[in-house]
Amino acid sequence: MLGNISFRKRRWFALAITTLAIFAVRWLASRTSMNLGRPEVLTGSTVLACLFLLVLLGVRRRLPFWRLGSVSMWTQIHIYSGLFAGGVYLLHVPAIIAGGRLEFALSLLFVIVTLSGMYGVYASRTLPKRLTAIEGQHRFDLVDWHRGQISKAARSLLDDVKEQTAVRVLGGYYGKNLQPFFASRPSLAFVMAPTNLRRKRLLTGLQQLDRYLESEGRETSGALAALVRRRDELDYQYALQLRLRMWVVVHSVLSLLLIAFAITHAVTAFRFMSS
Amino acid sequence: MIDNTVLPLEPTETIAVRRPQRWDAPMDALMSQSDVNWLKSREPFASMDAKAFPKTTPLEGILKNDCRLHRCEPGEIIVREGDYGNSAYLVIAGGVRLVLDSLTGEQLGRTPQTKMSWSEALSRFWRRSRVNEAREPHEITLSMTNGVTPVRQVDDRAAIFLQDVDAVLGTNETVPLGPGELFGEVAAMYRAPRTATVIAETEATLLEIRWQGLRILRRDPDFCRSLDDHYRTQWLPIHLRELPLMRHVPESNLSRVVEATQLQSYGRMEWNADYKRSRKLPAAEQILTEPMVAEEGRLPTELIIVRSGFGRVSQQFGAGHRTVAYVGKSHTFGLEELAYNALRDETSPPQPLQQSLRAIGFLDTLHIPAETFVSEVLPYIRRSELPAIAASLLVETPAFGKRASDDRRKASRPANSTSAESRGLAHPSGSQFETTGLLEFIVQNRLNNGREAMVIDLHRCTRCDDCVKACASVHDGNPRFVRQGSTHDRLQFVQACMHCADPVCMIGCPTGSIARDTDTGVVTIHEPICVGCGTCASACPYENIRMTSVNDHEGRPYHDATTGKPIIKATKCDMCSSSPTGPACQAACAHDALVRIDLSESKPLREWLERRQ
Repeated sequence: MLGNISFRKRRWFALAITTLAIFAVRWLASRTSMNLGRPEVLTGSTVLACLFLLVLLGVRRRLPFWRLGSVSMWTQIHIYSGLFAGGVYLLHVPAIIAGGRLEFALSLLFVIVTLSGMYGVYASRTLPKRLTAIEGQHRFDLVDWHRGQISKAARSLLDDVKEQTAVRVLGGYYGKNLQPFFASRPSLAFVMAPTNLRRKRLLTGLQQLDRYLESEGRETSGALAALVRRRDELDYQYALQLRLRMWVVVHSVLSLLLIAFAITHAVTAFRFMSS
Repeated sequence: MIDNTVLPLEPTETIAVRRPQRWDAPMDALMSQSDVNWLKSREPFASMDAKAFPKTTPLEGILKNDCRLHRCEPGEIIVREGDYGNSAYLVIAGGVRLVLDSLTGEQLGRTPQTKMSWSEALSRFWRRSRVNEAREPHEITLSMTNGVTPVRQVDDRAAIFLQDVDAVLGTNETVPLGPGELFGEVAAMYRAPRTATVIAETEATLLEIRWQGLRILRRDPDFCRSLDDHYRTQWLPIHLRELPLMRHVPESNLSRVVEATQLQSYGRMEWNADYKRSRKLPAAEQILTEPMVAEEGRLPTELIIVRSGFGRVSQQFGAGHRTVAYVGKSHTFGLEELAYNALRDETSPPQPLQQSLRAIGFLDTLHIPAETFVSEVLPYIRRSELPAIAASLLVETPAFGKRASDDRRKASRPANSTSAESRGLAHPSGSQFETTGLLEFIVQNRLNNGREAMVIDLHRCTRCDDCVKACASVHDGNPRFVRQGSTHDRLQFVQACMHCADPVCMIGCPTGSIARDTDTGVVTIHEPICVGCGTCASACPYENIRMTSVNDHEGRPYHDATTGKPIIKATKCDMCSSSPTGPACQAACAHDALVRIDLSESKPLREWLERRQ
C-alpha cells in the first residue's frame, strides 16, 4: 500500500503514526496508574520489546533471502520504532539520565544509542549528496589502489621532466611536500573532520614556484596540482565513506550492549517487584 | 613591415590506404570456389538471375562470403525456440524437423530454474563455499545418457543433441523440411526470437546465410517474393495485431492493412560492434551519424511502427537537434500528424512532421500508407488513445468515423488522462523524460535497451556495498556485479546485466546456453551446457558478462579431460532467479537507493524519481 507513495508523504504518515502510538501508550500508562497498576511495567516492557524489534534490522541485513520485506522497509520500521522507543522511554524514566550504577549506565547507553541513531539518519541523508558532488565515484575497497596510482603518476611526471631548472625546483618541492602527501594515508584529524587546508597549502606552494619555472616546468606543476586535487578528493571520499561505515559499527555494538543492559535491568526489576 | 608570423600549413599531402571492403571478413574463410559452384547448382540459387545482383555484390560473392556450410548429425538441435540469431538456414541435403510444440528446458539441455524454499536458501547461505566460483561436478557438464553426452563436437564446433530424438519427434507436432527449404529467416531479418526449435532428423547439410547476405539475396524477385509472402501471411498480421492501436480493427480491414504495409530496415544490426566508439561521440555528432527514417518538416505520408530496434525522436533546436524521446518495439511515429491531418477542417493547413525519427544502431519499421491508415485503422482507434490534439478535433467533427462503433469513439477522455500512457499502455509515440540531459544520456549509452537495468540514486546511496554483499551471499560468495558504472547527475547506471530488450549476447551461442526465460524475461546462463567460448561476453556491449574459470569446493580447478585446458563459464546477473525473494541487491538496499528498472519505457524511471522527494 505504501510502496508507491512519495518519500515525503511516507515520512509524514510514519511520523503521525509514531506520535499517535506514543500518545496511546501515555494514555494507557495513565489509565494503569489510575487503576493502581504499575505504568512503569507497561512502558518498560514496551521499550524492551522495541529494542528487540530494532535489532531485527541487523538480522535482516545478514539474511538477504528473508521473505519478510526488504531491508529498506525494515530500516523505516527501525527509524520510527526507535523514535517511538525514545518517546516511551521518556514516559518510563523519572530523569533522562538515571541514578544508580546499572540504571545510570543503561540510561546513558540508551541516550547515546538514540543520538547515534539520529546522527545516522542525518548522515545517511546528507553525506551521500556530498560524496556525489565530488567528481568520480571511488569504491571504498579500491581507495588504496587509487592512491597508489596517483602517487605513481606524480612520480612519473617528475621523471619525464627534461628542463634542469624544473627538475631542481619541482624535485625539491616534491621530495619535501608532495611525496609525503602522495605516499601516506590521510591523518586521523583529516579523516575525522576533512578540511581543504592541506590542499590549499600544497597548491599555494606549487603556485609560488611558478615564477622559477619555464614552460615545461609550469606544465608539470599544473599537472601535479591536478593530482593534488584528485588525491585530496579521494581522501575526502574515503573520510566520508569511512564515517558512514564506522557509524554503523558503533551504533550496532552499542545497541547490543544496550540490549544486554536492558535485559539485566528488566530481570532485576521483576525480581524486586516479585519480592 | 613584413609580417613573419608562421601560419600553420594546410594539409596538402594525403596518405594512401586500402579502403575496407565489404567482404574483408568472410563468414567462413574455408568456403571454396567448388563449394560455391556446387551451391549454384542447387535450388533456389540455380534459378536465381545472377544479373539481378549488383556488380559489387554478386551472387557468387554472397555465397562465398556471407554463407557457411554446416554438417549436422542426427538429433542435433540446430536452432532453439526463443533464441536470437543473425542467420537463416537453407537445407541443402538431408532432412530436418521443425518442432511446432514448445520443448521443455530439460529437453534442450537447460537446467530448469526453480525457486528455492526459505529453508533451502538458509542452508545454502550457511554452507556457502570459501572458494571463488566453486561448482559441483553436475554443474559443470551434463551427465551422460546411455553413454552419450548432450554437448558434442561436430567438425570444428560444439553442438547440443536431443537425448531421445524418437520420443520427442513422436510425441510433438513437427513439420519436415527438406532440400531447398529455408528456416530462421524471420528471426534473422527482423531481430525476433526464433519461434520454433529445429532438429536434424538425418545427417544433413545446411547452408547458414547471415542476414547481410539474406538481404542482398532479396534482390532476386522470386526469392524476395517468397520471403515477403511468407512474412506477410504468417507474421505480419500477428505483429500488427500486437499493437495497442490495432486492437479494435476488424479482420477485413487488417488484411487490407497487411497488403499495403511496407517493411523497411535502417542502420546496422550489429550495432553492438559500433557502440563503444559511438557512445563517446558528442550527442550532436552522434545524431548526425544516425540514419534518418522520417524528417521533421515534411508532410507525413505513412504511419511508422517500430518492429524492432530503437529510434531517436529529435527536434530542431537552434543549430542542432534536441532529443525529445526514444522509441522501441511497438511505438509509432507520425500518429499525431496523420490523425490531425485526417480530422482537420478543410480550411486548416496540414500539419508537417513535428519531429525527426532516426535509427539508433538498427531499426526495423513497418510503414502503413496514410490513406490506408485513415480509412482502415483510424476509425477504430479509441478517442482516449489518440493524441490530444487529434482527439479534440474528433469532438468537432462528429460526421467522421461512421463505420466505427459509436460508443467507443464517443467515449470521453478521462479528465486526468492526456495519453494512452495513463491507461497503462505503452506511449504510442515513444518514451519521454522531463529532462533532455537524462534522455540523451540514456540514448547515448543505449541504456534504453535495459529491461532490468540497475540504477542507483547517489543522493541516497551510502556506498555501504550491502547490495554487492547480498548478491554474493545469494551466489555462493560470488558477486555478479560491482558497484560501478556510468553516472548522470545523481543517477548511476551500474554495470550489471540489464536483461536487454535486444539481447545481442544471445546471438551466436553455439549450445543455446544463454537463454531468455519466457515467463520472466530474465536472460540466464545454463552452465552445464556453456562451453566457455566467450561469444556472449564479447557480444555484450555493456561488458556485463564475465568469463571465469571454475573450481571444486576445495579450490581445485576443473579442466577439460581431452585438452587439459581450464573449464571456463560465462557468469552474470540472473536476477536471483532461484532466490525466494527476487533480486537480492534491491532488497538489500537500506536507503531505497537501488532499483532494478525497465528503461525501455520512461514511465518507471520517471515515477521512481518522482517518489524521491
